Amino acid sequence: MSENRIRVTVNSKLTWVSSKPLGGKPHELSALDHAMALHTVHVIFYYRANPFERGLFDSDFSLSDLLCMYPPVMGRFARGDGGNWVVKCNEAGVRTLRASVGTTLDEWLRSADASEERNLTLNEFEGGGLAIGLSCPHMLADPTCATLFFKSWTETNRGEPVRHPPIYHLPAANARRSLSMGINSIKYLGTKSKSAESPSEKMATATFRLSHAIIKQCLAQIHDECPDATPFDLLAALFWIRIMRLKMPRHDQKHSLSICLDVRKPVHGPIPYGYFGNALHFSLLSLDAELLDTAGLGHVAGEVHRHVADLHGEELLSGINWFESRKGEIGQYAQPFRMYGPELTCISMEHMITPKGSTCELSMYEAAFEKGEKPVHVTYRVGNVEGEGLITVMPSPEAGLARTVTVTLPEEQLAELCEDQAIMDLQPTMLLSGKT
Amino acid sequence: MAQILPPFTSSVKLKYVKLGYQYLVNHILTFLLIPIMLGTALEILRLGPVEILNVLKSLRFDLVQILCSSFLIIFVATVYFMSKPRCIYLVDYSCYKAPITCRVPFATFMEHSRLNLKDNPKSVDFQMRILERSGLGEETCLPPAIHYIPPSPTMEAARGEAEDVIFGVIDSLLQKTNLKPKDIDILIVNCSLFSPTPSLSAMVVNKYKLRSNIKSYNLSGMGCSAGLISIDLARDLLQVHPNSNAVVVSTEIITPNYYQGKERAMLLPNCLFRMGGAAMLLSNKRRERRRAKYRLVHVVRTHKGCDDKAYRCVYEEEDPQGKVGINLSKDLMVIAADALKSNITTIGPLVLPASEQLLFLFTLIGRKIFNPKWKPYIPDFKQAFEHFCIHAGGRAVIDELQKNLQLSAEHVEASRMALHRFGNTSSSSLWYELSYIEAKGRMKKGDRVWQIAFGSGFKCNSAVWKCNRSIKAPTDGPWQDCIDRYPVHIPEIVKL
Repeated sequence: MSENRIRVTVNSKLTWVSSKPLGGKPHELSALDHAMALHTVHVIFYYRANPFERGLFDSDFSLSDLLCMYPPVMGRFARGDGGNWVVKCNEAGVRTLRASVGTTLDEWLRSADASEERNLTLNEFEGGGLAIGLSCPHMLADPTCATLFFKSWTETNRGEPVRHPPIYHLPAANARRSLSMGINSIKYLGTKSKSAESPSEKMATATFRLSHAIIKQCLAQIHDECPDATPFDLLAALFWIRIMRLKMPRHDQKHSLSICLDVRKPVHGPIPYGYFGNALHFSLLSLDAELLDTAGLGHVAGEVHRHVADLHGEELLSGINWFESRKGEIGQYAQPFRMYGPELTCISMEHMITPKGSTCELSMYEAAFEKGEKPVHVTYRVGNVEGEGLITVMPSPEAGLARTVTVTLPEEQLAELCEDQAIMDLQPTMLLSGKT
Repeated sequence: MAQILPPFTSSVKLKYVKLGYQYLVNHILTFLLIPIMLGTALEILRLGPVEILNVLKSLRFDLVQILCSSFLIIFVATVYFMSKPRCIYLVDYSCYKAPITCRVPFATFMEHSRLNLKDNPKSVDFQMRILERSGLGEETCLPPAIHYIPPSPTMEAARGEAEDVIFGVIDSLLQKTNLKPKDIDILIVNCSLFSPTPSLSAMVVNKYKLRSNIKSYNLSGMGCSAGLISIDLARDLLQVHPNSNAVVVSTEIITPNYYQGKERAMLLPNCLFRMGGAAMLLSNKRRERRRAKYRLVHVVRTHKGCDDKAYRCVYEEEDPQGKVGINLSKDLMVIAADALKSNITTIGPLVLPASEQLLFLFTLIGRKIFNPKWKPYIPDFKQAFEHFCIHAGGRAVIDELQKNLQLSAEHVEASRMALHRFGNTSSSSLWYELSYIEAKGRMKKGDRVWQIAFGSGFKCNSAVWKCNRSIKAPTDGPWQDCIDRYPVHIPEIVKL
């Protein structure tokens, strides 16, 4: 869209390693990790003040110390015995790029590299400001643990102990949990694994920032139909309806939304918050096309809410176990398929919000290199998304009920969505959409 | 026909014979003196005091004779003391410890190599094979400029590295010895491959605001043995200038010399050379005797440059693509062995005990006169020295010297471990090794240390130090945080 206007010049490329030699066993990847092999994760943190003014080599070695705790981040993929992927923890290092951008922070920057390596990109803006981008293959980490890695780095830089040190191995009890799961999930994943490749179109992304007041107002409006709606339910439903209106009418009667939730629980639960790896659950919510068209926002939000609420502990884990069960004879994991798509997929980041007293704490916005210098914006992007599109609902730095929604759609559909009346009624602040 | 004795008894008998012979020859003077003294004592006792007095009275002395003889004695004594060379003390030294951000594990090095030499997989394979057999560990350091893909060896980066290393090491030395910069009388800096204008020694004078009448020298181009050449120069200067302090800084700046081409013979230094530096404080002041760590006994320099092959064996030149690198020839080890033999021939008589020298002399005469087929006797240098510091030029160098001098694994441990932890730091490697020995608590008063360094040219230089005071395992130094992990077993080939 507007890449010609933005000039990103890569100034230097180097590799960062841990401060001590670690040497370690190869890090094994789970079945779910293998399933995510076709995608990449990109997380970008935007700061108003550049904490690395003096350059990486002069800084306090916080990244080197942090990498001592994350040997798989420095390693490289290799085929292990049995043909499955493992991460050889050989300290090859994190590739770090330093780039300067020809515009100020307040303009859009698309991450320069979507390559397969572990990339840490420091993009300096004119007039101050820094965007730190973290890219990695989805096989290694999902957005949550990438955020936690970054947050740990900021904590190390501030000299504080790391709140969520990485946990690489789950207690063995999980592996033996019974496969008593909802039939829907199994069927959904099974269908997905066999679905054909959809034609690839050029996708574009836009970000809508919605304020606390607006969301509160909307929730009040649908209170009768769905009293317990969360902002996620509301926004997932709203965007689903609006996007469906834009798409061409389909022959089958049902529209589907794939909902991606994180399985980690902050306090207790089988998969701890600090687990390093993939812990995502995909499920399908199908509604009649007519219903979607005619029913109100409240009704659809209620459906979403019901769907999410129905997914509890066992259900979430069983999805992971299903992948395990697809092992071949020699323990080889099945071929990966496209997990994000072909249906419209909606990612929830609600798990990153921890209620704390009267306010709440947002994991990603706590990542401040120096005290008080919180990021002004955090972007999540998943690479290699095909099909109908991707919606990501994230917390806003404003906290409370405010949310930021990032939508990836085919170009023309996105342009129409940005003009859509229902969405404009919410008075969103548009970010990173390539418009001035 | 003499019966062939069982090996055990023969070796035991031989050992005792050898010990007895050594004891006899090395203390021959004592053995000769004792009967003479006994005889004189017996004679005196026999005569009795009265007789002695009579003998003395019979010797008629007059004043002039007494005065002349006493003046003669005083004159001889003065000439002797004046012509005795001054004692040169090594008060203390410090070695450079690179920041942890400069660490280069094997995997990172190989990955960079693959990225920088994308079109030359054979050269990458070669580098990998060298690295596997090199004896280096995972904690060696390269300067920041080399960490970039591709490396960015600008002059500014080279000066930056020089400043970091040299200032770091001098700061540490000044702090250890409580020396004020104004008290430095002689400054010698040696760095072979980086020689900017103004010189590195001028850089030091500028930074520390040294005196305007300082005697500063900058040695460049002299290879890995330049450290001992600087010590030799410092010694000569300290003979001329009484009551002086000399600071010697040895380092090698890697940034400007990282070979960026693909010739295999020139890629070898990239795999082995790493960041490092050392600074030494030498003095001829009497009061330093109390706190000095070592005393310099000998420095022996051998130069084989007159031989063309030796001259060209480490040669800096441009490769066919025009990239500058250092070409190491295939017969490096042979030339090194030859240079070593030459050096040993000179140093042997200076340091070996009389027993070894006699044996060597006998075998030499025997080979010349009786039977040329006799094996040449290799003197046992373990009797002359307690510690050996062999320049950590590479695993092959250490192996070769261990074989030639018949040293045990413990003798070369310091060299191997320094190579493993710090890589080949060129002229400063000897000081890392010395630091290792101290850190292990093995240095006692009276121990003798032999430092051997090889360098381009081809040169072989040796220095002999004697430990002045027992050194407690120091709490600071480059080995401070890792000495407990050493010694490590270094496998023949590390699987990468």
